[in-house]
Amino acid sequence: MRNINNPAELERIAGKIRLKALEMTVAKKKGHLGGTFSCVDILVALYYGGVLGIDPSRPQWPDRDRFILSKGHACLGLYPILVDLGFMSQERFDTYGDNGGLGGQLDTGIPGVEWNTGSLGHALGVCAGMALAAKMDRKNYYAYALLGDAECAEGSIWEAITFAGEKKLNNLVALIDRNRLSVTEVLDDDSFFRSFPDAVRSLGWDCFDVNGHSIPALLETFQKAKTSEKPVLIICQTIKGKGVSFMENTIKWHHSVPTAAELEKARSELSA
Amino acid sequence: MSLVDKDIRDAFFDELCEIGSRDPNVVIITNDMDVFSLRKFKQDYPRQFINIGVAEQNMINVAAGLAACGKRVFVFGILSFVTFRCYEQIKVNICSMRLPVTIIGMGAGLSFGFDGPTHHAMQDIGLMRLLPEMEILNPGDSASAAQCAQFAYKGKGPMYIRIDKGIFPGFYNSGDNFSSGLKVLRDVANSDVTIVASGFMTRQAVAVADALEIQNVNAGVIDIFRLKPVDEPALRELADRSRSFVVLDENAASGGLGTIISEILARHSKKIPFISLTLPDKQFLEYGAREWFLSRSGLDVPAVAEAVLALVRRKVP
Repeated sequence: MRNINNPAELERIAGKIRLKALEMTVAKKKGHLGGTFSCVDILVALYYGGVLGIDPSRPQWPDRDRFILSKGHACLGLYPILVDLGFMSQERFDTYGDNGGLGGQLDTGIPGVEWNTGSLGHALGVCAGMALAAKMDRKNYYAYALLGDAECAEGSIWEAITFAGEKKLNNLVALIDRNRLSVTEVLDDDSFFRSFPDAVRSLGWDCFDVNGHSIPALLETFQKAKTSEKPVLIICQTIKGKGVSFMENTIKWHHSVPTAAELEKARSELSA
Repeated sequence: MSLVDKDIRDAFFDELCEIGSRDPNVVIITNDMDVFSLRKFKQDYPRQFINIGVAEQNMINVAAGLAACGKRVFVFGILSFVTFRCYEQIKVNICSMRLPVTIIGMGAGLSFGFDGPTHHAMQDIGLMRLLPEMEILNPGDSASAAQCAQFAYKGKGPMYIRIDKGIFPGFYNSGDNFSSGLKVLRDVANSDVTIVASGFMTRQAVAVADALEIQNVNAGVIDIFRLKPVDEPALRELADRSRSFVVLDENAASGGLGTIISEILARHSKKIPFISLTLPDKQFLEYGAREWFLSRSGLDVPAVAEAVLALVRRKVP
């Protein structure tokens, strides 16, 4: 488990991860930068802030915490972390976008990846099953799922919320990357999200709202989640494309590849 | 009580309860379906039994999460709802993850005829066959049903088991070698025709063979309880020894046993007369007893016997 306390250092790591995602996207002309950048700070908090109990030398350690990046199209935010922590090699990362190499979604052929992703709405129920297994075996591990906000329209998520609340799975944490942009729509003012906190609380969850780009605030909230007696849902308020001015809050950057000029501008902003 | 006198559901679930009582890692989940023989298990092992409610997508997802953490998970519910309703969850979270989760579909074929088209199970074999590495079992008597519970427990990957209802004639003995997934119930070598069936239709096949015997026609009968992977070498060899093949299947023409057998015959260029008697490609927006549906679909014993006779007498091309 990597446990860095210095916020500036964590921020520096997040910048580095964004830069690697950017450069890989340009090199292979493939990537979902907008939704990757919106969740990088959450990933850094989980992996470097002493939250996830994992061991790169034993990826299948039975007592590890489980984490599923449900929005697996943000895999370019996770691959560099898995390289940095020693789960996989840089050479493997370099196969991204190649035929037979790392893909645009996560799969369990990669050490440190718990689940095959690509279809939305599944991870929370799966994590509920994992959290329940821990309870049955009287183990202490947690299950974390990081969901996109548009994904929360899936009915299966609400089936999982109901189930986890009934089962009082206080070792289950759902994180929502609330970047307010789906593939084609702005989700800024939908009544669905306004009612979200009350809805999940009424179903037996704790719910917190946090700035998803403040790593100290995220870490503080993850600590609160650990002391809750209920499953916890954390709405992480984020900005799609965070860190690069011309990508922020722009639908186009869900799945676009920067030009050479855009790359330079993005690189200088992320390095600043 | 011997297995022959047991309802096929009890034969399967009694065996599963026995397995679950010995292994605390076994977890049984239902979408709010009651099974008589599980009531005691629920009381004795409440930590191993979950009624997840009418939420099949979540049932499969939770099962997958449990299985990924070392649990041996069995989910059951009315057949259509544990297959069609949550197909993508099965495809992604059980199959692509290669998890040893067993899906038990209750009410095979037209056994829930009065409950209407939502409960009729006539396309699920084709549906589940599409999933890579999914094993499919369709027992037609109590002994093979009990064996299916053992297969599921010992299996290493996804499995789908169709469970019918009622007391079935016994075709297998508990001492049989079940590994091939099929059994020749009536000799094929000296017969005029070989009838291939699975599940409920095996009893129909045997009744047809009895009816044909009166007319001096010898029919061999093969029961296949493991539809995937099917024992292709054995069936190929049985086709070599048969004069003609008839498939009896209480399923849609496309995707079920008829498709399975015709694929094998085609793959091995077996040029023997072959007919596949299945349900028609039409909506069943009707309610009724299984026997009523079967007779309307040409799958009752007299109609099948007539079709087989026509084949034997070369009245069909």
